[in-house]
Amino acid sequence: MWNNIRSMFTAKSSREVAKGRLQLVLAHDRTGLEGGRLQEMREEIAKVIARYVQIDAEAVEIEIETRSRETQLTVSSRIQTRTAT
Amino acid sequence: MGRAIVITSGKGGVGKTTATANLGSALALLGHSVVLVDADTGLRNLDVVMGLENRIVYHSVDVIRGKCTLQKALIKDRRLDNLWILPASQTDDKDAVTPDDMRRIVNELKATHDFVIIDCPAGIEQGFKNAIAGADEAVVVATPEVSSIRDADRVVGLLAQSDVPARLIVNRISPHLVKRGDMLSQSDVIEILALELLGTVPLDDQIIATTNKGMPAVLEGKSLAAKELMRIAKRLAGMEVEAPSDVGFFTRIGRALGLSASPA
Ligand SMILES: Nc1ncnc2c1ncn2[C@@H]1O[C@H](COP(=O)(O)OP(=O)(O)O)[C@@H](O)[C@H]1O
Ligand SMILES: [Mg+2]
Repeated sequence: MWNNIRSMFTAKSSREVAKGRLQLVLAHDRTGLEGGRLQEMREEIAKVIARYVQIDAEAVEIEIETRSRETQLTVSSRIQTRTAT
Repeated sequence: MGRAIVITSGKGGVGKTTATANLGSALALLGHSVVLVDADTGLRNLDVVMGLENRIVYHSVDVIRGKCTLQKALIKDRRLDNLWILPASQTDDKDAVTPDDMRRIVNELKATHDFVIIDCPAGIEQGFKNAIAGADEAVVVATPEVSSIRDADRVVGLLAQSDVPARLIVNRISPHLVKRGDMLSQSDVIEILALELLGTVPLDDQIIATTNKGMPAVLEGKSLAAKELMRIAKRLAGMEVEAPSDVGFFTRIGRALGLSASPA
């Protein structure tokens, strides 16, 4: 119950939720990538990385962020190091 | 040589026609000669918002087809000496107007007037392309809602591609909703769209009441929205404008909530 009351006070305002949703939607709109294109790109990038280092293809993540009118695309992937395996 | 300013938004129903009618009337009140161009072919509305619907004889497509001269198609406002409107045609032929036609009309109007204000239709298709074709600059109208801002962002991108510089009007803001955390604030919208702000117009019953009468709110004068629209017109005309009180009010709310007050 206390947790419920706490969350009532710390819950995001609808204004903050709207802002977060907009930033996500705009980041994607601004890339101009539609439908499965982002997924295709992720798979291609995973293949390229896998040619050089050992990775789990599912571990490749793409993040798109936008601030002012600049949009940044970040690819990150955990690799399996030789000592780890 | 005058300036051509397109009022656009992407989304419909956010206040483009209202802004066109009021900013045009305000600029005329300030002594400039102004023509309002309704570029919403097929969904003509500027005439009713201006209360001039009974006086239309010719429209833009008649001019394009050579049925009358441009001067003959202009309707003169009876309340102000230096305000005219070029009505849109109600045709559903989407090819009746081309960007070249618009450019020719707007350039001809710029030669004889200080301001040509173009009321853009909703959407980003042919009508939008026509409306921005002759424009030197753009005013993007957005309401503080996710869908409106998303569409405005698309339009900002398209304007940039066409080298049309854009500034922002945030319309229909409700200070009490912003204060309660239930509406995006003016600074949120500026931050997201990264545009220079011309002004923020509050949600105001007087806009609806004056629109019912076919009277631009700035001509009645007293409402909060009318005052802010007047300030925006002054800024458009390049006048130094006193710090806007209601906008200051929104900024103070922003600060109280610990938000950044200005865009990056
Ligand atoms: N600041 C405002 N306060 C109250 N109502 C407004 C305001 N701005 C616009 N409206 C109303 O919103 C509706 C849509 O406005 P309109 O200018 O026709 O939008 P658009 O041309 O973008 O489709 C109209 O009924 C208008 O009277
Ligand atoms: Mg309209």
